[in-house]
Amino acid sequence: MRSDFLSRLISKPAPGAAADNRERSSRTAPDGWNSLMVAAQNGHGGAYRRLLGEMSEWLTRYFQRRLPPGEVDDAVQETLLAVHRRRHTYDPQYPLGPWLAAIAKNKWVDQLRSLAHRPMDEIPDDIAVGDHEASVVSSSVLASLLDTLRPAQAQAILLVKVQGYSVEEASGQIGLSPSAVKMNIHRGLGRLTAIIEKTPDVE
Amino acid sequence: MSNESLIADLSSDLAPVQRRSMLREGGLVFALGAVELGLFLVLGVMRPDMHHMGSSPFLMWRVGSLGLLAVVACVLAIQSYSPTAQPRRGLMFASALAVAAILGGVFVTPDGASERALLDRINPASGIVCATSIFVLSLPIVALLGALMRRAAPTQPRRSALASGIAAGACGAFVFAFCCPFNDPLYVVVWYTIGCAAVAAAARWGLPHRFRL
Repeated sequence: MRSDFLSRLISKPAPGAAADNRERSSRTAPDGWNSLMVAAQNGHGGAYRRLLGEMSEWLTRYFQRRLPPGEVDDAVQETLLAVHRRRHTYDPQYPLGPWLAAIAKNKWVDQLRSLAHRPMDEIPDDIAVGDHEASVVSSSVLASLLDTLRPAQAQAILLVKVQGYSVEEASGQIGLSPSAVKMNIHRGLGRLTAIIEKTPDVE
Repeated sequence: MSNESLIADLSSDLAPVQRRSMLREGGLVFALGAVELGLFLVLGVMRPDMHHMGSSPFLMWRVGSLGLLAVVACVLAIQSYSPTAQPRRGLMFASALAVAAILGGVFVTPDGASERALLDRINPASGIVCATSIFVLSLPIVALLGALMRRAAPTQPRRSALASGIAAGACGAFVFAFCCPFNDPLYVVVWYTIGCAAVAAAARWGLPHRFRL
């Protein structure tokens, strides 16, 4: 009984979120996933292949809303590898959806961190234009995240990390020294990462 | 590599895995704690009056509160290794339990103890030895919890590491409580807290660097 109480202490999300999670899991994770994962834990390769295929589609949708298009495949594959390495940690008593979402969120944070440390490539003028839906959703999420930062941090991140200006060009536009711009970017990205880590999973 | 070929690679020659069991992991921690306590007592360092613990509220408070905190913190730490766990509430609960245990010391302070000088009651020279002993006794538990954490999939490794450190510190303090000769609750509160906090800080700092999902 005490173990159940402690389990609730650990696992229970914020008030009101439990119902959301149940609704979200039923909407996003098929019921058959649990039995497929149990079969996979017992060494059934066919069930595992089918499960990973369905997970791959789910993860592609998940990351398309959160990452630039070029990062989606990497994030999906990283998550699939993490699922493979940690499949023994899945407890069949619980639905698989939240388990997968927790791992996917972790990989999302990892991708954001690696993006922050990666030098920006120059964007060619003749880049092909495809479907804009994912970009629109991503920019909407980005805008709401940037709203949580101090204006100087948000402006520095927007100019350098999103619009591709150099630090020197951005410092000229903002009216701050290059080191202050770098500092604002560093602190802003750190704060964004912290916010994302604290945010409950959303689909 | 495309997603399809990765999936084909991962699903070919799939071997069965042993599912993670919190009961088994808890049993391992309990067994290690029991072995440590047994070895410690075999060395003959147990307090001679421990056999009469039932008649001493102070000893009951010390051993009981540390034992309860150790059990609760170990359960919370092991549960926090699950990807879906949210260790924050558990950490708050463990902290509240520790504060309650500390406050409980007020009721078992022996008569006349509060009239002694503060420095005399705290006794820093012996206290540092006590805190160091707790730290050393906690190391095997930290190592075991770290190994369990590595095999599991914590998505909040810093909080899981902190929970592991608190659990290991409480276990070390519980074992040490059987031989500590001091009978002042203030001494226990100060130096046991320092010992446990040092273990928790070391685990919080050291473990997350080695474990990433």
